[in-house]
Amino acid sequence: MKGFQSQELTRIIDIDRKLCKGCDSCKAFCPSEAIEGKYGAVHRVDNEKCIFCGQCLVNCPFGVPQDTVDAVDQVISKLRDKQATVVGTIAPAVRVAIGEEFGMEPGSLVTEKLYGALKQAGFKVLDTNFTADQTIMEEGMELIGKIRHFALGEQAEHVGPLPQFTSCCPAWIRYAELYCPELLPHMSSAKSPMMMAGPLTKTYGAAEVWKVKPEDIFMVGIMPCTAKKFEASRPEFNSAARYWQTQGRSGDYPDIDVVLTTRDLAELFRRLNVDFETVAEFSDKDNPLAQYSGAGTIFGNTGGVMEAALRTAYFVITGTELDVLEFTPVRGLQGVKEASVTMKDAKTGKEVTLKVAVAHGIKQNVKPLLDEVKAGTSPYHFIEVMNCPGGCVNGGGQPINPMGTSWLDKAKAVLPWS
Amino acid sequence: MARYDYVEKAVKVSRREFLGIVGVAGAILWTGAYVATDLVHDRNKYIKMRAQGIYKDDKKSKVRQSHNNQAVTDMYKKFAHNPLSHLAEELFHTKYVNRTRLV
Repeated sequence: MKGFQSQELTRIIDIDRKLCKGCDSCKAFCPSEAIEGKYGAVHRVDNEKCIFCGQCLVNCPFGVPQDTVDAVDQVISKLRDKQATVVGTIAPAVRVAIGEEFGMEPGSLVTEKLYGALKQAGFKVLDTNFTADQTIMEEGMELIGKIRHFALGEQAEHVGPLPQFTSCCPAWIRYAELYCPELLPHMSSAKSPMMMAGPLTKTYGAAEVWKVKPEDIFMVGIMPCTAKKFEASRPEFNSAARYWQTQGRSGDYPDIDVVLTTRDLAELFRRLNVDFETVAEFSDKDNPLAQYSGAGTIFGNTGGVMEAALRTAYFVITGTELDVLEFTPVRGLQGVKEASVTMKDAKTGKEVTLKVAVAHGIKQNVKPLLDEVKAGTSPYHFIEVMNCPGGCVNGGGQPINPMGTSWLDKAKAVLPWS
Repeated sequence: MARYDYVEKAVKVSRREFLGIVGVAGAILWTGAYVATDLVHDRNKYIKMRAQGIYKDDKKSKVRQSHNNQAVTDMYKKFAHNPLSHLAEELFHTKYVNRTRLV
């Protein structure tokens, strides 16, 4: 197939031919026009165009598109395997959505319960929020290097162009690689938090925290996202194995072995008879890899990466902490949000105004921003792009119909016999 | 010479019937529009509820900036030295692929 590297998953979202009503609702949510079929006819997904975001899946009124990559059984067999250490990395948006699968209100924050349930199922935890903090360190330092070079006139080599794009969203990465490859130099070279969690677990985690062999670790990404399944399968993501090869250890394994979506994880708990509502809470205080800051957790919202980056960039450039940490201009569901922060550089005493933009929903909001960057007229230094409207909390791997977004389920709920 | 028959209008609609048909058609269209807006409204509602959950987690955190996360600092001290170090570049940074050139 065109546009894929070897080993990559080429098919994740599939529309069931027998169930599709041809209502065209999915097309209204598809950012890459990958759905074929006229109004009234059966639709199909063109995988060469699809960026695997799963928005069609969570928004279909009939629940027809399906996630075809199911790793639940594989994870269960690894959990039963005494030789293997199964490490789960939980994305921020999972902890506010998994409760919905077990009858809780949308937005219930259930971090401790989730840790407890994972412990009961046999997982070790490396919180993705930890690597989100690390992403801010890596991506933020990269950005600050560029700002020091371009805005403050410091000499530097090998700095990429401004504006810098965030690289946390795998659907956005695939979108850029497929539809605007000329913008790839603008992309931050930092991996996404999940892809940092993989090598970190299999190097530092294996050697320092759990004291096991890296090849015995089975790394499970627990994500609100279907595109993460694609990202994990990219062939270049085996840096832990490459690192250990330089240290004289053989073996070849991917950084992230499999990815479960929020829905998959709920299914796993059901199959293992973990009762999520009554499970004992657990805070995992002694595990250094489960410690995270508030900046790491807001990655799950649109504007979160930006807000977290600004909190740290402000400190690094000015040498003082922000008085008010909340950046309200980058919060909320407005299509494109912008903000600017004026900072006084502690080193040179020069003032620099950092201009940032936040866009979510590639379908509606991102294209004008991209055109500006292509034309070289973009006024921004840093642009956050998330494929799904609202950010990861509304990702393609999240529970469907928490409040009856399916028309059918909505009708069923008011019927007296249901 | 062509012959034409006189045929009465096939569909006869009185004023009352016309109003009825327009009314029913309008109701159907309105229901569709209502369901569609309702769908979007509901979607935004649960996005907002989940977003509030995330902001709650931020608010109750004792440490709220990435550079103040002691566990991350320790990790750099013990293992990866500092952000953008040679080892960090190797493990935590990547390159992208121009997929238009992949066949």
